[in-house]
Formats: sequence, C-alpha cells, structure tokens
Amino acid sequence: MQKNEHWRAADNRIGLLFIAPFVVAALVFMVYPVLESIRMAFYYIDPLNPDAQRFAGLDNFGTVLRDPLFWSSFRNAAYWTFVSTILQTVAGVGIALLLHLPLRGISVFRGLLLFPYIVPTVVIALCWQWMLNPEIGIVNHTLRGAGIIDENIYWLSSPDMAMLSTIMLNVWKYTPFVTICVLARLQTVPTELYDAAKVDGAGVLRRFTDITLPQLAEVLAVVVVFRTIWTFNKFEEIYLLTRGGPGTSTYNLAIYSFEQSIANLRMGVGAATGVIMMLMLFLGSILYMRLFRFQDET
Amino acid sequence: MDDNKEARSRRKFLEDVSLLAAGSVAGSMLPTLPAFAQAKSKATGTVRVWGEPGPYGGVAVDGMNEWAAKFAPGLKFQIESLSWDSVYVKLMTDLAARRPANCISVESPIAMQLMAQGLLEPIDDVVKQVGRERLIDGAKWEYWGAWKGKQYVLPAHHQPHLLLVRQDVINELGLGDPDKWDWNDLLNAARTITEKKPGMAGISLALGRNLCTDYHFAALLHSAGGRMFDPSKQYEVVFDSPNTVEALEYVKSLLPYMPKSAVSASFLEVVDSIVTGKAAMAFYWGRPYGRAWDENKEVFKNLEAYNHARHPKTGNRSNWNDFQGWCIPKANNPYIKEVKAALAYYQTSKVWPVRYCQSLVPNVSPVYKDTAADPELQKHPFFETKKRTIDTYYTGSLKYSSSTANELLGGVNPLAGIVHGRSILAQTVQKVVIDNMKPADAAKWGAKELESVRKEHFSLVI
Repeated sequence: MQKNEHWRAADNRIGLLFIAPFVVAALVFMVYPVLESIRMAFYYIDPLNPDAQRFAGLDNFGTVLRDPLFWSSFRNAAYWTFVSTILQTVAGVGIALLLHLPLRGISVFRGLLLFPYIVPTVVIALCWQWMLNPEIGIVNHTLRGAGIIDENIYWLSSPDMAMLSTIMLNVWKYTPFVTICVLARLQTVPTELYDAAKVDGAGVLRRFTDITLPQLAEVLAVVVVFRTIWTFNKFEEIYLLTRGGPGTSTYNLAIYSFEQSIANLRMGVGAATGVIMMLMLFLGSILYMRLFRFQDET
Repeated sequence: MDDNKEARSRRKFLEDVSLLAAGSVAGSMLPTLPAFAQAKSKATGTVRVWGEPGPYGGVAVDGMNEWAAKFAPGLKFQIESLSWDSVYVKLMTDLAARRPANCISVESPIAMQLMAQGLLEPIDDVVKQVGRERLIDGAKWEYWGAWKGKQYVLPAHHQPHLLLVRQDVINELGLGDPDKWDWNDLLNAARTITEKKPGMAGISLALGRNLCTDYHFAALLHSAGGRMFDPSKQYEVVFDSPNTVEALEYVKSLLPYMPKSAVSASFLEVVDSIVTGKAAMAFYWGRPYGRAWDENKEVFKNLEAYNHARHPKTGNRSNWNDFQGWCIPKANNPYIKEVKAALAYYQTSKVWPVRYCQSLVPNVSPVYKDTAADPELQKHPFFETKKRTIDTYYTGSLKYSSSTANELLGGVNPLAGIVHGRSILAQTVQKVVIDNMKPADAAKWGAKELESVRKEHFSLVI
C-alpha cells in the first residue's frame, strides 16, 4: 500500500516535471502579456518614453469607445470573421468528406492539403499581393485568358474587393485546419452506422444530415470557436495585404489596436482595445457554448 | 594566369594614380575639406545602421567601415534596410523596446520628431568637423534637423520628388514645355494623354494610405499656399483652409487620369507605372531612372524631370524634399563616440560622398558644394543624356523645396513625423477619392486629426 503511494507520488512529480515547461511558457508568453496589457490599459504610455507612465483610470477605454473608427473596425472585424469562418467551415467539411473517400493516392492529397497552413503568413501575403496585382498578377491574367473578364479587376483597390480578397486569403490559409479536425473525427465514425442506414434505405444526403453531421457536431463546435477567436484577432494577413485600406475599409480591431499603439503613440489606448477585444471574445464564446449546449453534451 | 593578374593590378594601379591625379587637380579648385584628428577606439562589436532601401546606405557604411579599419579595428558597421512604408513602425517599435540602431538615416519629418522628443544626440561637434560652410547653396542645416540652437541631424543627401514626364509623349501630343506648366496645364496634359494614348494613364500619383501619398499631397498643398501648422502661432492648425480644399479638389480632378489602382498605390506602384510605360507622368524622386536603365531603355531615353507645375494663382512651385540625414539615438547606444567619428570621416572624405551619390543617380543629391562640384561625380553614364534632369534634381529643385518638417521653409515642425505615422494627409486624400467626401469636409476632418496630434504632443513644440 505504502509502496503504491510512493510510486503514485513519484508519478505525480514526473508528471509535474513534464508539464512544467509548458506552464512556464504559458505564464511567460500568455499570462504575463495579458496581465501587462490589462495594466497598461489603465495608463497613459508613450512608447517613445515608456518610463513616464501616468495613471489614466478609464480614459483609454473612453477614448476607444468614443472613436467612430473603433466601431467601424468592429463591424469590419465581425463581417470578416463571420464570412471567413462560415466559408472555412463549409469548405473544410467538404474537402474532409472528399479526402475521406477510400481512393488510391488520397494520402498525397491529404499531405498537400497542409501546404497553405504551414507556409508563413508573410510569404503567403506577399505572394497574394503579386497574384492580385491588377496589371501583372496571375489572377487577372488567368481570368482574362479564360474569357471570364474583359477588364482587370482591382482586387485591393476598392473597399469591397479588398475585403473580399482578405477573406479569400484567410479562407485559403485556414480551411486546412478545419479539414484536418473534421477528417480526424470522420475516421472515428463507426462504419456500421452508415451500413445500417443504407439497409434502411437512407440516401447520401440523408446519411450526411442524420449521421455525419451529428457526429461532427462536437468537433465543429470547437473548430468554430477556435476559428472565430483566431480570425477575430488576426492582424498579419490584413496588415500585409492591405494595411487596413483602401481607406479604413479592411481595418479590424487588431489593426486598430496596433495603429493606436505605434502610429498614434498611445500604448494605453492600444492595450485598452486589446482588453475590450478579449472581453468581447470571452462573452461571445460563453454565449456560443450556451446556445449550442456544448458544455452539457461533453 | 600570373601575368594576367599582374596586368590587372598594373591597370588598377594606373587607374588609381590617374584618379588620384584628377582628384588632386579637382581638389585644388574646390573648398578644402577640413582635417581633424581621429582618436583610436577600443570598442568592439557591431554598430547597427538603419537606412532606407537602396545602395547608398551601404556605401556610407563602407566608408564608416574604412574608418573602423583604421581607428576601431574591433568594430564593424552593418547596414539594415527599412522599407519606406514600415520605417515609422520599425523606428517606433525598436525605440519603444529600447533597442534602436546605433545610427539612423531617416527623412527629416521623422528625424525632427525624434529630435524634439529628446531621443537624439546633438551632433554640433560633427558638423564642426564636417564644415558648416560646405553646405550646398539653397539649403540650410536646419532643413535636416536643428532644434533650439542645436543640430541633431547630419545631412546625408537631399532628395526631391519632381514631375517626371515621358518627353516623347509630351512632344507627340504637342503639350508644350512642362517647365512652364501650371496646374491647369498639368491637368490638361494628363487628360489629353489618357484620351489619346490607349493603355497609358496620364499621370501616376500614390493615393494609398501611406507615406508616399503624404509626400505627394504635401507638394500640392504647399504649392497652393496651404500648410498643416503655423509655427509662428505656437503650431496652430491651419489645415482647414481654402488652399487645402483646392489641393484636394485638384487631386480629385486628376484621379480619372491615373491608373485605376492609384487609390492603393504607394512608392513601388508609382515607379512600376512609369518604368513599365503604363503612365506618362508621375510625381517621383530620381529612383525610376535606375530601374528604367536596367529594365526599359526606351522609357529611360524619354524620361525627363521638371520642377513641379506652378499653382495658377500663387505661382508657387513646390518640390517635396526628403532632406535625409544621419542621426544618433541617445539612449542605450554604446557607440555614440564611434558613430560620430565614422560619420565625420566618411563625410570629409573626397571619395565616399561622391560614391554615395553615384550609387543611385539622380535619386540622392549631393549636400556639400565640393561634392556637387567634384568632376568625379559626373563620371556616370546618366550624365551623358540626362544632365538637365540631374541638375534639376541636384540643384535646380532646391529653390522650390519644401517638406512637412519645414513647411514652405517657414520653420521646423517636429509634429510632422507623428502626422505621417498616422497617415493623416493620406487619409484626408482618401476621404475624397474613396469615400467621396466633399473636399471641404475632408479638410475639416484632417484639421481635427492634426489638432489632436498638436494637443497630445504640444510639449514637443513649446
């Protein structure tokens, strides 16, 4: 009995040892920055003179909430997140279903699928900039060659097209994440369920709606939450592709926060924006979980 | 093999001797460069130098490394290029992180902001060594960065943007002499070219939310007699004026004759449009000549530059000028003494300032009389066919030069860097060309933003 307890204690110590690096990393790279951002949100901080900080109370939050650009950035962020997440989810499920087919060589396609996800965003954004170049970009060239368009499309030069372009980039890059998660779940769905449904006369669509989708519900719930949070917070794709332009048509809250901190030299206001974003996402996630009763089912 | 090597080294020697002789003859006719004692330094490590893209920063650093080889063998100067559109972000983030480069080459608006914020080391001692009297006629030391009686920025080059035109197109369409144009003539030329030359835009300007748009619009604003701040009245905001409205209306009237992507264009897109022959005119610095020489000889042959068109009422011509200079961050900089010595060394050398300017003709204009007059400077192939244009960039432009850091040359403005960091001018322009806001309302919006800059950073200007 004592020996068992001794082993259990030793196991616990080894477990703690293994988990320690991740805890330290989380403390340094997640917890500390979050706490520091919350603190900074209550101070006036000029990044060029970071030692001279003055307590601001709620002023920074007031500045943010009174700024029309914050609200238009919020609307852009909500639109970009909603459309991107929906398209990623639909495309991700569709591609996962295709990759789940027992075809020869399908593993090659599964491997290729990861390509957009593993290439650094900077590289992708710069490639897309060239591809979408109205004069010499391959996209217009191809569309013109195929007779689909007569005049060049200015992908990044009009507010609507710029938003569409940033969404396309985001969907292209992150659909593989959805596909991988869904594919992993699909591979664990018992085939007996499909066999029984076939025996009962269920067609392809019926099998999809009555078996596949319910089986995917949990993983999709998690994927949608993650993709919503990550997309809402996205900075680099929009910044590299459009810098929030033309005008401020593709500004989202991450870019707003960055511009406040660096261009406007108001670190406190930038931090307050970050805190507001965190609260929005926190409340949104809770609401989403409640709506879909995800917590109960798990 | 060895014979070849010997022959090469002999040729090299003869070249060096003839260069030396030519230099001596030229030198005897020019102001004497100041001589000064250089102390040895035992400092070691890498001295980080920030410069904009282009070969000239690297040339200056080569000169600094020559100093290091003689006087500080443990030091190595290393250039880091910052792209134009990210220069402000990079500077601010690195300064905020307390790890700035040890020496920075930057345009006057940002240099003056840093200077007024107390982030730079005064360099009057370097100026004394370099020679105050050497500065090119038509320029003043304060254009690069002087504040409250101290010099903080050492001139690296001056760099105006001018009106680039395809002379063949202008001649073909009988549009007259661009040097005599006013705004109406320029607009008419842009319209005529767009209508009569299919596939070619009349004029290319940057209208994206970026630094290039700020600089393009500033030239028009100043030409119209407008400005952002009035230094004589405690930097009161004077942007909400008929002059600003007129400049905005003018941009809007040019818009139909620009490439369709102009509203998102920045530096690179404007260069592309002129070098590829997709635009017949542009506001630009001297950089397209190098690219056209490499990529499109026909464009190079026909590309000429003029001082900007006059405003029809004020008669003002306004060439934006970067007034690019070297500055030395004060905090967390262990190499201040060495950077000062290296800057003084390369700037008092007969060779390095010439090489600096020759590395990208006519983009970087000489700032010292002796450099401008040095016959070696003209030993560049562009001088054979583009002398008038080069002279306009180098000297003819200075009479009409202006920048937001010294609007209409009426006084140093340390708020300009913050204005550009926020892209306020570009955003004002975009309100008109993208959001279809009335120019008068856009001018009011811009004035409000400028007022907020002034309010937040008033301590910089008192």
